[in-house]
Parts: sequence; structure tokens; C-alpha cells
Amino acid sequence: MKLRRRKKMGIAVPTTSMGDIAFLLIIFFMVCSNFAKESKIKFKPVDAEGLKAVENAKISVVIDEESSLFLDGQLVNDVPTFKLLMEQALANKATPKSRMVLFKCDRYASKRVFEPVLDAIASAGGIIVAVGEKRKSE
Amino acid sequence: MSFKSFRKRRPDGGVPTDSFSDIAFLLIIFFIVTTSLKRVVGFETELPASKEAEKKTEEKTPTVTLKANQITFLEAEVSMEAFKEKLADMKLAERKDDAKVILMDATMETDYQNYYEVMAAISEAGGVVGIMTETK
Repeated sequence: MKLRRRKKMGIAVPTTSMGDIAFLLIIFFMVCSNFAKESKIKFKPVDAEGLKAVENAKISVVIDEESSLFLDGQLVNDVPTFKLLMEQALANKATPKSRMVLFKCDRYASKRVFEPVLDAIASAGGIIVAVGEKRKSE
Repeated sequence: MSFKSFRKRRPDGGVPTDSFSDIAFLLIIFFIVTTSLKRVVGFETELPASKEAEKKTEEKTPTVTLKANQITFLEAEVSMEAFKEKLADMKLAERKDDAKVILMDATMETDYQNYYEVMAAISEAGGVVGIMTETK
């Protein structure tokens, strides 16, 4: 009697749709993420009660723990230059959304550092979005 | 001699897709590393054009003065809670344009944390922050 040898079942992971899944994930990340432009800038964020989620603005201004001023991640040496750059950035921006400027500042920065910057943004026609962190209830 | 061996092979014409998933996953790793999914919290404020420390505006507009941790509002020293209560009593959200403005005056030594808390309280109450800059 002839016995037929059983065929071995080949184990293979179907990978044909892996590329499609991966590209869908990329689209997801591209749509719902913000690029961390200021990851190298060090500052201690402020906190307060009653803060709400705000829309992310395209222009961002940061004052770090050494009182250095950054516009969109680029170091700006002085406030008059910063004011000029802000005026250029906000020129021909009519809608309130396009005039929004994210403002982040180190919590220990003194008024002589941050106030001229706030004033420059306001006089250039920007709407300041003062970013902080929600204070955790004790 | 056979002529078969000299015949050129026709190219298949297909796009090689074997490495697509590898490229895609590398891109995913790049996006995961360089992005932050954290929601931004804060408040929006459209500061009126620079207010010089002139007496005529001080007379009409309520002013909050900051000296380090000390808050003075309507000529009385108040705590943050009392300041918030006073702002709520003023019903700033129901007011119009200039009547919403609360001027902020602070000493040069005031740090951003104290300044921010006062600004956040005014914005939360529906007011508009006006900053007083010192004339040289």
C-alpha cells in the first residue's frame, strides 16, 4: 500500500498590505501633529488655573531660561529686529487665525525681558496666544 | 549553434514595491520622533496698542498693579482669589470694547509667572488686557 506523504504547510506572513497600512499611518501623523521646532530651546513653562485648549498658530515666539528670544526656532538678537520680523510675518494677514502668535516664556523671565516682546507683537498686529500649562489641583 | 541564447530578455515593466513598506515605516519612525501630539493650552489676548503710562488713561481704566507677588487692584491689596472675585463682579464679558480693558502695571522685577496668572484671570473673566509700558 502506498502512503501519501502529507504536504507541509508553509507559514508565511502576508505582507502585501503592509505598505498601505504604513502609508495610512504616515498620513495620520502628518495630519494630526505639530513639528517640534523648539525642542532644543530650554524654558520652564508657566502654569495657571482655567486654561483652555487653544488653536495652534503658525508663528511661534519663545523666550528661554537665558532670556534669549526665538522666532520660529531662530535666535533673534534684539527687540527692534524682532519687531521688523514680526511686521514682515504678519503683513497681508487679514484673518484673526492667521495673525495668531504662540508666545511661550520662561516662568522666571523678568518684565524687562518679556514686556517689549509682547508690545512688539501687539503693535505688529498679532493676536497673542499665551501658552502655559494647566495647574494640577492639589 | 542556437540563436535562442542571443535573444534579449524583455523587461517586465513592473515597479518594484518590495521596499515600500520599509520606506514607509522609516517615515513613521521619523514622524513619531519629530512630532508632539500634546494639545496647546493657554489663552488668546489681543493687546491694545502700547499704552504709555499716562495719567489720563489711568483715571478711567481699572488698573491692576503687580509688585513681585503682591497684587493691587482698585487701590487695594488683594489675593489672587479676591482679584478673581472682583473681576467676576465687574461682569467684563457683558461690557463693550474699551470698557473691557484692564490695564496691567508691573515693576521691572515682576516675573512672567505672576504676570501670566493675572493675565489669565483677566482673560478668563472676559476682559481685555492692556499693558502699561514705561516711557524713557
